[in-house]
Amino acid sequence: MARFTLRLNGTTRSVDVDGDTPLLWVLRDDLGLTGTKFGCGAALCGACTVFVGDVPTRSCSLPVSAVGISEITTIEGVTGPEAAAVQHAWIAGDVPQCGYCQSGQIISAIALLKAIRRPSDRDIDLAMSGNLCRCATYVRIRAAIHDAARALGG
Amino acid sequence: MWAVYEYSFKFWQPNWPLEVIAGRNCIRLSPVTSALPRRFLLAGTASLLVPLAIAPLRSQTAEAGADHEITDWILIASSGDVTLGLSQPEVGQGSYTVLPQILADELDADWQRVKVRFVTGRETYKIAFKNEPPVQKEGASMSTTVLYSRLRTAGAAARGVLIRAAADHWKVTANQCRAEKGFVIGPNGQRLSYGALAADAAKLPLDPAPHLKDRAQFTLVGKPLPRLDSKAKSTGTAIFGIDVVVPDMLHAAIRSAPTFTGSLTAIRNEAEILGMAGVRAVVRLPAVHVANEEPGSQHPGLAQEARHNAVCVVADRFWQAKRAADALDLAFDPGAGGDLSTAGIDGLLHQALDVEKAVTAVETGRPREILAERAGSVIERRFVLPHIAHAPLEPVNATASYKDGTVEVWGPIQAVAACQDAIAASVGVKAEAIKINVTFLGGSFGRKIVPDYVVQAVLASKAVGRPVKLLRTRQQDLRHGIFRVNAGGRFRAVLDDQGYPLAVQARVVGQSLFGATRKSWLDQTPEGAWDESMVDGIYNQDYRLANFLVETIDTPLPVPVYFMRSVGSTAAVFFWESFISELAHRAGIDQYTYRRTLLAGNPLALRVLDAVAEAARWSTPPIPGTVRGIAYNCYIGRGGRFKTYVAQVVELVPAGDRLALKRVFCAVDPGLVVNPNTLAAQIEGGIGFALTTALHSRITFADGGAEQTNFLDYPLLSIDEMPEIVPIILPSDRPPQGFGEVVLAPVAPAIAQALLQSSGRRIDTMPLPAEAFRR
Repeated sequence: MARFTLRLNGTTRSVDVDGDTPLLWVLRDDLGLTGTKFGCGAALCGACTVFVGDVPTRSCSLPVSAVGISEITTIEGVTGPEAAAVQHAWIAGDVPQCGYCQSGQIISAIALLKAIRRPSDRDIDLAMSGNLCRCATYVRIRAAIHDAARALGG
Repeated sequence: MWAVYEYSFKFWQPNWPLEVIAGRNCIRLSPVTSALPRRFLLAGTASLLVPLAIAPLRSQTAEAGADHEITDWILIASSGDVTLGLSQPEVGQGSYTVLPQILADELDADWQRVKVRFVTGRETYKIAFKNEPPVQKEGASMSTTVLYSRLRTAGAAARGVLIRAAADHWKVTANQCRAEKGFVIGPNGQRLSYGALAADAAKLPLDPAPHLKDRAQFTLVGKPLPRLDSKAKSTGTAIFGIDVVVPDMLHAAIRSAPTFTGSLTAIRNEAEILGMAGVRAVVRLPAVHVANEEPGSQHPGLAQEARHNAVCVVADRFWQAKRAADALDLAFDPGAGGDLSTAGIDGLLHQALDVEKAVTAVETGRPREILAERAGSVIERRFVLPHIAHAPLEPVNATASYKDGTVEVWGPIQAVAACQDAIAASVGVKAEAIKINVTFLGGSFGRKIVPDYVVQAVLASKAVGRPVKLLRTRQQDLRHGIFRVNAGGRFRAVLDDQGYPLAVQARVVGQSLFGATRKSWLDQTPEGAWDESMVDGIYNQDYRLANFLVETIDTPLPVPVYFMRSVGSTAAVFFWESFISELAHRAGIDQYTYRRTLLAGNPLALRVLDAVAEAARWSTPPIPGTVRGIAYNCYIGRGGRFKTYVAQVVELVPAGDRLALKRVFCAVDPGLVVNPNTLAAQIEGGIGFALTTALHSRITFADGGAEQTNFLDYPLLSIDEMPEIVPIILPSDRPPQGFGEVVLAPVAPAIAQALLQSSGRRIDTMPLPAEAFRR
């Protein structure tokens, strides 16, 4: 066990965990932030996606010891115009079905809109194809990203 | 009892402000207090009520006033807040919105003041499936179909007592008053809120057969209301089973026998594992598996054997438990099924396809004779499909607390009663001493009806004397899944002079789902039993066939299997529609015209077929390079409970050297549509789900167990593979029909037909081979 200090959602949090613990489990089990989900444990499904700095990252495969001083942002802490636009579009468009993958989808969508103001369908495919949805809400995910881009004036 | 919990941000904070705005899903335990169930007792249906305690939903929020139970489904607070009971778990299908919508409409509630709470424990929350005793369960696309009239009656009866309470107050007659958006309005325009009337209304007897609204009077039913759970699910606040936290809880990870029939013989490094960081215990778990139900019991049957086939490690944190479980050095005896392999399973299928004798499910006319007489002109197609897995994105998990002979469970649970029965049988606790708390389900598709993972969590908790959350890794969830059965098909026909089928023989073989899980559902004949799910959409198909033979052969296997979304139809309708496509192709008749001719005299079937053809401009040739396929299915609910008509057209377009699925038109006649928004979502998602099956899903077996371990070797559809969806929802006078499973089956055969028509390639398996899409 070792002490790690994380910059998380605009605050600083310290945890005593084993260094090989993936960030996902630190967030969920130690810090009570359960919005980030476990789906595969191998960076294959995207349910655990969080921001590490500006980069959408699979937290199931990132040991806490590797996080360092990077700012972590989870679904509970997303802020800013892109986050607001994406979450608004997600709710207005009734994107979720079971909802389990949607935290990860939303983080990836925010990252996409930060990088590309008016993404094409191809841009959406490239940015979002690592986020799996077993309910196949993809039609509405795509529509919501376009809606959010329009709302942002992209 | 009224649910003793609500979905909660903070399970562990009993004083968390109870703001249960529907869709925000806060929730938490509230104590059970004793009160007599009242409703409908006076109405002569007392025998349906089990006298259980009632938990006033707002007992801890005095500022909001007390809740008054108006019916089993409706509580109204003095503040005017209306809490509607939801008996069906929300797995993504939208019941959390749609079922309260039905109640609120007849109640004339103010939708903005409606809150939703999961309820359990009363007879009226139960649904009978086929020949079984009623149980509380989500499944078989039955929720809206079965509960529609029940909820309307409850809502209307509640409206009735609220109006009578107001009329008594004003000393007028009830028929001088009317209800509107949470108020009763009197003859002189005077108004009393439901909140003000609730206490008096709760004392009045309910009319067991209240006057129901005409459709024209609906204010909510039929409207595309937003989902009540979208906000919670878009902000990370919705609580799934995996998110449950209870005081003093430990975490468990599990390792199971590599073979389905395996037994644990040794843990070679137990002391070492117990010395690992955070580890509290190593628990041997008995084999818990789906089994034939006892007569009269509630399904699914779950057997617990003397052999142990899994070990779980209980630790302070999940990662510690998982790391230790990975490090376990286990020895297993493979058991009788140690040589199970895909080659062996497929060999059984082919053998069954060719044997002379099968069980006759349906025989009309003289199919055998005609096929024998014209043996030289018989058209034959054969198909083989693998087992597949549900693979919900939330792996199976449960949190259990076994304490002093009582059990409490929290988790993603699709069938409350099955869960209680399985726990009761496993640890010897009476069903009444088992409290089940249902969270949101992160997908299920049938998987989370089988409570094997819940029983394992209970056993782990019992072993360590503390609450335990047991979570399977993806590898454990997938390899030790409970699969959809495999299937093989051999279809033979001769055509008449016009090119239409004169005689058809349809044979489906494979592991029988009913044979493996519930023999009482099998249809008995002198030749043996047949399983209707193997020939769903064939034995009860709609095409006009004068000489028709349907046969099945069960090839039993030690593979654990269970119902999966759309059940047998994803295999059977793929076979059937592909074969019809073959016949039309051979006859040189347009695929739409061919089906239209065979459906003559079936106006509801023709309506969806015509609607989809028109929307897709079937009669106009597509632009060069684009290829299309059309398919039809009437999805018949188990036990004939509903009929939903579906027709689809798929369009494939050139994409480099391949054909890519561009668009799916889907026409449906689902009866009355309570919520077009959630219904459209089921069309979109159902087609996407079917595409995962069509393009990707295959479980293979070697050395007695399943081989797939994660989304690398068991991929799911991704967004770049998702076509545009064009839903066409036809108006209907029929009551709501089932919907959650109905759009899946036609997808794969429509694609296969497009490939057949364009290239002459015949597809005889799923996943559809990648080379079939080459241009």
